[in-house]
Amino acid sequence: MSDSSNYGHGDEDEDEEEEVVDEAGYKTSKDAVLFAIDVSDSMLTKPDDADPKRPDTMLSPTVAALKCAYALMQQRIISNPSDMMGILLFGTEKSKFQDGDVETGRGGLQYPHCYLLTDLDVPAAADVKQLRGLVEDEEEAADLLVASKEEVSMANVLFCANQIFTTMAPNFSSRRLFLVTDNDYPHASSRDARNSAAVRAKDLYDLGVTIELFPISHPDRGYTFDRSKFYNDIVYSATPSDPDAPMPLSADIKPASSTAKDGISLLQSLLSSVASRSAPQRALIRNLPFEVGPGLKISVKCFILIKRQEPKRTSYIYLPPDSDKPQIAVGSSTLVADDTARSVEKAEVRKAYKFGGETISFTVEELAKIKHFGDPVLRIIGFKPMSMLPIWANLKPLTLCYPSEEEFIGSTRVFSALHQKLLRDQKMALAWYIPRRNASPVLAAIIPGAESRSEEGEQQVPPGLWIKPLPFADDIRQTPETNLVPAPDPLTDAMRVIVQQLQLPKAIYDPRKYPNPSLQWFYRILQALALEEDIPSVPEDKTLPRWKQIHKRAGGYVVEWGQVLDEQFRMWQRDNEKHVKPTTNGAAKRTKAEPPSAGAGGGKAKKVKHEDGEEGVTDAGMREAYATDALSKVLVADLKAWLQGKGQKVVGKKADLVDAVTKYFETKMDVD
Amino acid sequence: MAGKEATVYIVDCGSTMGEKSHGRSQTNLDWALEYVWDKITTTVATGRKMAFAGVVGLRTDGTENLLDNEDDYAHITVFQELGQVLMPQLRKLRQDLVVSGTDGGDAISALVIAIQMIVATCKKLQFQRRIVLVTDGRSAMQADDLGDITSKLKEDSIELVVLGVDFDDAEYGFKEEGKDATKAENEAILRQLCDDCSGVYGTLVQAVDELGVPRVKPTKPVPSYRGMLTLGNPEEYDTALAIDVERYPRTMKANPASASKFVIRSDMAAGEATQSTHTIDGEEAAPNGTNDGLAAVKTARTYQVDDENAPGGKRDVDRDELSKGYEYGRTAVHISESDQNVTLYETSPSFDILGFVNKNQYERYLDMSRSNVIVAQRTNDKASMALSSLIHALYELESYAVARLVMKQNKEPRIVLLAPNIEPDLECLYDLELPFAEDMRSYRFPPLDRVVTVSGKVLTVHRNLPNDDLQDAMSEYVDSMDLSTFGQDDAGQPAEYGAMDETYSIMLHRINQVVKHRAVYPDTDPPPPYEVLTRYSQQPSELANTAHPSLSRLIQAADVKKVPPKARGRRYGRKDAPKPLSELDVGALLAQDSKRSSKQACIDPKNAIPEFKQLLQHAEELPQLRAACAQLKAIIFDWIRHSVGDSGYGRAVEAIRVMREEMAEVSVAAAPYNEFMRELKGTMLDGGLGGERREMWYRVRVNRLGLLLAGECDGGVSEEEGRAFLSAAPVAAAAAAQ
Repeated sequence: MSDSSNYGHGDEDEDEEEEVVDEAGYKTSKDAVLFAIDVSDSMLTKPDDADPKRPDTMLSPTVAALKCAYALMQQRIISNPSDMMGILLFGTEKSKFQDGDVETGRGGLQYPHCYLLTDLDVPAAADVKQLRGLVEDEEEAADLLVASKEEVSMANVLFCANQIFTTMAPNFSSRRLFLVTDNDYPHASSRDARNSAAVRAKDLYDLGVTIELFPISHPDRGYTFDRSKFYNDIVYSATPSDPDAPMPLSADIKPASSTAKDGISLLQSLLSSVASRSAPQRALIRNLPFEVGPGLKISVKCFILIKRQEPKRTSYIYLPPDSDKPQIAVGSSTLVADDTARSVEKAEVRKAYKFGGETISFTVEELAKIKHFGDPVLRIIGFKPMSMLPIWANLKPLTLCYPSEEEFIGSTRVFSALHQKLLRDQKMALAWYIPRRNASPVLAAIIPGAESRSEEGEQQVPPGLWIKPLPFADDIRQTPETNLVPAPDPLTDAMRVIVQQLQLPKAIYDPRKYPNPSLQWFYRILQALALEEDIPSVPEDKTLPRWKQIHKRAGGYVVEWGQVLDEQFRMWQRDNEKHVKPTTNGAAKRTKAEPPSAGAGGGKAKKVKHEDGEEGVTDAGMREAYATDALSKVLVADLKAWLQGKGQKVVGKKADLVDAVTKYFETKMDVD
Repeated sequence: MAGKEATVYIVDCGSTMGEKSHGRSQTNLDWALEYVWDKITTTVATGRKMAFAGVVGLRTDGTENLLDNEDDYAHITVFQELGQVLMPQLRKLRQDLVVSGTDGGDAISALVIAIQMIVATCKKLQFQRRIVLVTDGRSAMQADDLGDITSKLKEDSIELVVLGVDFDDAEYGFKEEGKDATKAENEAILRQLCDDCSGVYGTLVQAVDELGVPRVKPTKPVPSYRGMLTLGNPEEYDTALAIDVERYPRTMKANPASASKFVIRSDMAAGEATQSTHTIDGEEAAPNGTNDGLAAVKTARTYQVDDENAPGGKRDVDRDELSKGYEYGRTAVHISESDQNVTLYETSPSFDILGFVNKNQYERYLDMSRSNVIVAQRTNDKASMALSSLIHALYELESYAVARLVMKQNKEPRIVLLAPNIEPDLECLYDLELPFAEDMRSYRFPPLDRVVTVSGKVLTVHRNLPNDDLQDAMSEYVDSMDLSTFGQDDAGQPAEYGAMDETYSIMLHRINQVVKHRAVYPDTDPPPPYEVLTRYSQQPSELANTAHPSLSRLIQAADVKKVPPKARGRRYGRKDAPKPLSELDVGALLAQDSKRSSKQACIDPKNAIPEFKQLLQHAEELPQLRAACAQLKAIIFDWIRHSVGDSGYGRAVEAIRVMREEMAEVSVAAAPYNEFMRELKGTMLDGGLGGERREMWYRVRVNRLGLLLAGECDGGVSEEEGRAFLSAAPVAAAAAAQ
């Protein structure tokens, strides 16, 4: 058991090796986001119609934006630990730029009224702390958040952002400027100033920085943000010349309103629009040929939309003797030959398989040929109804594919026709799938996924076809033998009521409502340690069942069901009595002697374990052995089985197992 | 774990086995050995110490067996006593099993020897015993003692498998015409023997055919959770429901054997180490030191921390100087030994139902993990009945349950979906993990059934949307390629084509196949993959033919065109300048800027990339391109020269990339970039850019910023030259450094 987790890691690495794309290409595939937040008088004004009971609605737009940045920073430390983030305030009375760097003469004066609050970098604990101070401590905020009396030059703001990206995030594949403002017409009176801003925006475009605008309107003041006045000169789109071009989805975010309408505060709406753009959309595979039929190829991109987010693994930390600031030690691996410990170039390495006590080796070319099953492709072999796909036929998360016109013009319409047809008829395609060069081919089901939108019309899951690698015969395990006792109808009827009572909202599972408790706890602790705060004591766990509700809504029915079960089981026992002969190991006899623990009202007393006579010891038996100090006489196999039933670790020598059992009872004593 | 097994193979090596029958290109012996080798190597591959194999040669030139002083046992040689077979034995057997010059040797006697071998080795221990006899049945047999043999086989529960070269098999549908009388008689005797001891009797062609169908390795189910499935909290309420259940894997990826890494030993010339099989270095190596010239490759890890005083700004630290911790953003968080568990979310094993969802609204793309099966605790009839009621209720209500599962103490909780399954002798719940909030990435894509335009209109007719003709054609095509009844079941009835239990893990069996093949035939090229592995790589031709008319119609309606390879020969300065949403002519604004507009404009190092790109917009002649590149070159050199450690490398790499991309686009302009690149390499590696800059060169290499190739740009260099340019240097540099 203990090595299963190691095994899992090895497994992953193996996969990884295969999945690391050599074509990764030129750029660092990282993301850098710089928030540029407007600090003007109107941005600092709290909304008039705020609801004092909801502190959310009391925030000025600037503070709301800062809160939003704070939330994003915390979230990205968890979800994108190597991505960068920075915060630039503009229009402030104070000015501040990157520290030091005297050489190039960059001082604070160069960008007046631009205040670089957090330089663009992977966030440090201090950055989180500083930002939190600002959003939580009004005094600190009051000191810094003062609007300048003269208008800040937008050209300067944009060039300042340019410099930040140039120096801090060179060669990043994704660099984005999140611009939060309520001023749709800066430099209203100066055409020149607007033009130089446009020039600086072009610089950013040429640098590869995308500007994402988060406009804010003030309905309470009768003000609606109008992009066409200024910002359309600043923001670039991929295909501007075609008015019929599909609008990039990121642009369909409506201006956030500073006042709470429909109960949605500015903060919430900012949070949701930032959240929807927080992850740069990185394709897992670009331009995968999708062969709909022989002679009909289109191209698709594949995306990972669902991926298990794991806590970070431990890293090595260096504690310098002369300072209390721990450092991260960066590890690097080199291959060395076992015989001489000389380092080895990748090209020298040969692969060999262990076989019969020796190794069987192949040349690199041979192995490449052996593993070659053709170029990357997603090829449809035929179609089946979705009902032929058993629910258990799964191995790992699915990937979404979405059409791309880059290789084949017309891909989108063909894809769309297929998507609509499969959705309409609830069909799936069976496909031969080689995701990347030299990857193992798999058979995959291509299943259609409909677009899902929230009640507010925000897209939650995009439409597309999902690729689901199917298990091979080798991957399917046999189901264990069981001794089936089918439920009689009255019992099923009793259970049905319970099921009907306890539907989840809308009868669906909404992942957004269930944060991962271990992960959240891990990062809360880590954050507390990093910020040198008190460690919180009570974890919040939203995945726990709502016991009180279950009790209220279904408790009565469960008790009824328990009675029916007792009744029906007695009848079944009577009917089957004559067939049941006590087996040699006495398992059947024991079943009668001790009441089975299935049933309602499963209080503590009823938690009696039943094990197969061959492999088990009952709780009572184990407790007796514990009480009489006779644990050492229990067989190792029994100890292991019993401990496993309790979810305890089952590793080590017999003494360890005895210890574990002893420990278990010692702690349980207090409870009983 | 798998039990012990002992198999003796009796291989007929008589002179008649040297014939090539029925137009086969191999001798009968080679053909028979295909089967035998496959079986033996399969056993070898398991690496199990208690999987014994023995090999007895029948009709061999020599005689060597326990009873070899008796005439009846002549021409029978025990080549391999029962034991674990490893490579040396395999190599020896390869030389032993050759066609002999004799016809003498009695198959029945060989059976007796085999039985004795098994009896001597296995005694009364728990072994799975088997004898496999492969023969062409062309030599006389003494069938007098068959009764004794039968009863001995039965008594010791030894399974007998007889495979005959061109034996008749009505069931398989093979009949050899013009069979000689001895063979016919022997076939009858062997068939009778197999019938008597409930053995297996078959013709070799069937056995060899079936080698192409991979065997699936059964795995003993090991429960991943044993305990209560609860609804409600039994600790707090007396209305909670609890059922004893066990959870077993339902799907689990079977991975192909992984290769280990080796290098040629440094004391060996390359040519000496090319033989195909090798002894693993180390304990198992033959004592006389005959090894394969390969040394294992290990991974050595080194650690560095920033240190202002160290050359290059980094300093190596010993593993012993380090302690454990985590990274929070870029902050190191040290966690002392005693606090190791502080980040652990403490849990205890539990399996709680959260509620129920509608099956028809469940989106299959939420499936996150491999699946498991949940059954009632075995031998607990009441739990079985209780779970059955839940399964039936879910089934009847078309519902699934959602539950929170903690498999073991302090394992992280997972949310799983529970789906009911009802079969005549199996009722269970299947479970699959579901995503948490953090696991969902909110990517957005435009709808596929309508187009919302920049101007806000919603279109239903658009070049990205299928017209009715395309929709119809697609619908017809999908229907015509239906696989649900295209396959056949065992009874020949229409069944699902490509069902999961008929598909085999491609890489796993492919690797097994070639490794086994190479172990026996070290000097032969690997064979092509089994047909069954590539069967599903194409549409089944019969169905594809039927569907061809609908496909043609679809292709016509789709009107898909391949994007031509990058439109070549863009004249510089003619590229459509990108415009902002408002289509403001920024180019004109730039032109007004006196610093930027002139053709000899000077690139501001602080804004180098945008200005370089803008300069190229106006560049009309090659000299101007060169001039732009020269300016950027000076800036890049400057960055590298003044870089403290690697601080300037990122910007330099970016600028080099941009220059490369821009020059690649202007098709005649490989020269400026390649000249730059050569100069960069020369100057930098000679220490001309502020000292030791190998790290920077490394970055150029990994970012593939080498010379422009002929394939990328007219005037580019050949691939070999490009490769040589990138790879040659570090060796020289490394040599220089030492």
